[in-house]
Amino acid sequence: MVSRLARWLGSARLDLAEEAVQDALVRALSTWPFSGVPAEPRGWLFQVARNRAVDLLRRDAALRSKLDSVRAETESAPVSEPAGALGDDELAMMFMCCHPVLPPPARVALTLKTVGGFSVEEIAAAFLAEPEAIAQRLVRAKRQIREEPISIEIPPKGEIGGRLDSVLDVLYLFFNEGYSAHGGPNLTRAELCGEAIRLGEILVGNSATDLPAVHALLALMLLQASRLPARVDETGDLLLLAEQDRGAWDRALIARGLGHLERAASGDRITAYHVEAAIAATHAVADDEASTDWASIVRHYDDLLELKPSPVVELNRAIALAKAEGSAAGIEALERIAGDPVLARYYLLPAALGRLWLEAGDTERAARYYEEALTRPTSAPERRFLERQLMRCRRPATA
Amino acid sequence: MAKYLIIARGTGIPSTLSPQEVQKVIQKYMSWNANLRKDGRMLHSEKLRAGEGRVLRGQGGKMVVTDGPYVESKEVVGGFWLVEAKSYDEVLQMLSNHPHLDGPGILEVREIEDLSHLG
Repeated sequence: MVSRLARWLGSARLDLAEEAVQDALVRALSTWPFSGVPAEPRGWLFQVARNRAVDLLRRDAALRSKLDSVRAETESAPVSEPAGALGDDELAMMFMCCHPVLPPPARVALTLKTVGGFSVEEIAAAFLAEPEAIAQRLVRAKRQIREEPISIEIPPKGEIGGRLDSVLDVLYLFFNEGYSAHGGPNLTRAELCGEAIRLGEILVGNSATDLPAVHALLALMLLQASRLPARVDETGDLLLLAEQDRGAWDRALIARGLGHLERAASGDRITAYHVEAAIAATHAVADDEASTDWASIVRHYDDLLELKPSPVVELNRAIALAKAEGSAAGIEALERIAGDPVLARYYLLPAALGRLWLEAGDTERAARYYEEALTRPTSAPERRFLERQLMRCRRPATA
Repeated sequence: MAKYLIIARGTGIPSTLSPQEVQKVIQKYMSWNANLRKDGRMLHSEKLRAGEGRVLRGQGGKMVVTDGPYVESKEVVGGFWLVEAKSYDEVLQMLSNHPHLDGPGILEVREIEDLSHLG
């Protein structure tokens, strides 16, 4: 919606488009509960947002000339839109947000804000960053877009390669934000994952962006999404892989994921998405946790560390290593990365140490790590999960 | 079955929500409405214009009109629903998960008195 409006107003008016869409949504919220949803909700929202944008422009005398051209279009443009057009707008907007002249962190933040409609707080949680830093990053990026200026369009074929990588990074973050919503009341927001998958499918559906790395990312997202229904129990609490009902995994998504993984293998470049999709596929085809091929998962993480060295990957490798070789090996690997500043706000590190010490029988040390995990940012279900684990440490005899 | 008027005062959302979050709140309202419609309990609903209203009083035989609707400007009536229910308890049950109460909004319930037996 913001994408479509911004494309129409010009990239320099991005803030205006965001504000107008927000106003239209609030208007929908104060109207639809009483009037019912209109026959074409998107068309309704777009018309209200467009009228609002014209109002906002009118207030700004310096923008009078722009207003005249916009008003002429308002009168001629249809309210409802042909199917598929919105996808193109979002894709064009993503390419603008991911333009190479913008610093990489700004590209991701801008896309999440503008295409995804995330709040600054949500973006900060997804990045393990402070909200003020993200807000500043957005202000600077928008200024840069106005000054360069960068237009909202799908780039010509020869330029797509480099710009696509950044778009894929953004989709991946988009997806992760939905898969593990930080700080919110609900752990998973299936609609966000669905949105990332939808955009991925638009990419593979466009001949210019139908490339192996895109299939690898799409495979990864589909395979991860297949576990969404099993990931929380009926009260919304987080379930460990071992506790999940594998019968609830979505077989259709797994099949689609494996299909895209196959098509991803056609290229000569292996990306992190290929490796991560292979890890997800190993889980997806295993009957239970015990029969999972943990040794090959550890090897995949070794590959991943070469492609994308990061303490978060090390953390995941250590957890897989504990499954393959026992908790002592996992603890040793985790302690090596415990002091990394990147993980200072990341609850999973102390939570994993707590879990492994619990398995090793040291409930006191496990409890200390779970307490530490509870001091870091978490969603409400993650918090309840950690509290449950902490109880187990304190009352092991009654378990 | 009796009829109840549910009046929604104030807005159900803080203004700091992101578009994604606003859409989620809209979904909650709509699924509440859809449930009542499905059961045939929703008889009527209307949105009222925001920030408008007149309060009339008689003062020494003259009509005095003030802007309204309420003394406190925050108390804007957003709209109302007319629903069918067995009792106040059942209406409260219907409203127990209502999204309007997630924000600063207030809901007021009034039973419509059935006068049909008086002919």
